[in-house]
Amino acid sequence: MKNIKTTALVLTLPWILTFAIFWLFPLVYSIVISFSNYQLLSKSFDWVGFDNYKSLLSDQDFIQALKNTFIFVAGTIPFTTIIALGLALLINKEFPGQGIFRSGYFLPSITSMVVIALIFTNLYQRGGYIAYLASLIGFTPPENGFLYNNRTALFSIMAMDVWMASGYYMLIFLSGLKAIPHELYEAAKISGAGPIRQFFHITLPLLKPVMLFILVINSIKSFQVFVEIFVMTKGKFETSTMVYYLYEKGLTTKFQIGYASAAAYVLFIIIAIFSIIQFLLFRKRQPLW
Amino acid sequence: MVTDKFLLFLKYIILTIILLIMIFPLLWMFRISLMPTGNGIGLINIVSSQITFNNYLELFRTSNMGRFLFNSLLVGSIVTVGNILFCFMTAYSIARYKYIVNKLLFISVIIILMIPVHIIIIPMYILMVKAKLYDSYGALILPWLVNPIGIFLVKQYIESIPPSMEEAARIDGAGEFKILFKIVMPLCKPALAVLAIQVFFTNWNSFLFPFILTQSEQYRTLPVALALFQGHQAIDWQHLMAGSTIAVLPILLVFLIMQRQIVSGITAGGIKQ
Repeated sequence: MKNIKTTALVLTLPWILTFAIFWLFPLVYSIVISFSNYQLLSKSFDWVGFDNYKSLLSDQDFIQALKNTFIFVAGTIPFTTIIALGLALLINKEFPGQGIFRSGYFLPSITSMVVIALIFTNLYQRGGYIAYLASLIGFTPPENGFLYNNRTALFSIMAMDVWMASGYYMLIFLSGLKAIPHELYEAAKISGAGPIRQFFHITLPLLKPVMLFILVINSIKSFQVFVEIFVMTKGKFETSTMVYYLYEKGLTTKFQIGYASAAAYVLFIIIAIFSIIQFLLFRKRQPLW
Repeated sequence: MVTDKFLLFLKYIILTIILLIMIFPLLWMFRISLMPTGNGIGLINIVSSQITFNNYLELFRTSNMGRFLFNSLLVGSIVTVGNILFCFMTAYSIARYKYIVNKLLFISVIIILMIPVHIIIIPMYILMVKAKLYDSYGALILPWLVNPIGIFLVKQYIESIPPSMEEAARIDGAGEFKILFKIVMPLCKPALAVLAIQVFFTNWNSFLFPFILTQSEQYRTLPVALALFQGHQAIDWQHLMAGSTIAVLPILLVFLIMQRQIVSGITAGGIKQ
């Protein structure tokens, strides 16, 4: 028995160390430091209690970043989920060439976000391809390009994200669809239910766990949007988000470590609350549709 | 019969249009990377200008492209090997040794699994500065050698293997480590392949942590180099897109060769709730 304990300790040591040094310590450190006014460059350090959290509430940049993040999450997730489900239903049944379409749709998801953001910076620019497409359908594109305009910048980035992520969630929906027993559809057919009733009474209810999984991981991911903002607009034109804000406050110019850590914890709490709400919502009310 | 065929035809048309929308931006990137510099990249030029591979050669000659590529490969490989080894070891211990500390460790895995990783950028930065690891390979590699998703994935897999072979080996007097690496590890190959691909892809594409934890070009990985490339006044699209193509190509090749494992890896994550 003692032997087993030693073996177990040796085997799990890499995780114990990683967990302690690179996860637990940073998490505890940033909670403690969020009650101070620590600034890395000026080396000032005083305990300030809840002051950081209080001043966040009246910080216009923070409110703006919070608002943009919510717009981003609320504006992308429904579209991504519906498009992903649509794609999954389209290619669910086996047919010649299924693999090509599945891989093709999935391709953007394995591409680096930096690369995708760079390509779309080109596509969205003044006189670029998307401006050309917009003018074809009689829409006047913004004068300086889609990313240099307060009204269109954030939405342009959101559209790109929906395009990019749909294929990934399509794959997860496909696995959910595969798990639905075929007999259910046979039985429905015999009792005269059409494809639409089958969808609402069999497919959707049985996809509920997969749907929950997708909503939770997609919102955890979307609340942390950063790379595309950094590459495409540097947070200008009303596109700053929470993670961009805490990067800017904590790791550029003044290095306001304490203040930015407080912002990080607010983000953490928001994401936690969101995940819990989604979880409860899907668990309590049996048929959601 | 006729309507059936027509519907199938219509389906293929729709699927193809969507496919074009999905791969168009990547084709666009590749096309720009093949355009001669100096021509500008107006829409007409994109259709009509000639094809040249000069941008790629120039990129390697005039920038540190070779170094960035090397850094990405080096960091990606070490992190991948680390995860195969360490996730497997931790997962085996948690799955097979019913021991109180292992239960606690599994809880730690689950908790970290749910924590949004970007909220620790600031303490991670300070930690690396204080540990004198800022701007080094250590900063790029050490935090990611073992990850909770990997432990979770491999643990589920090991639990689906009946322990009879291990017990037989134990009776024959084989040591624990021999059982672990000679018997169980080969059985876990499918799960470890999935893990390796996921870790390598994530690491290859990762931007935020390599960006905040390094400073000099010496330790810059490809995504960071590309994001900082556009810093000059006018964007040099031809070279930027050539660099982007280089960043996408290895991933694309691995994806085409190992499609099945990749798809099953993602769906494995999807089914287990």
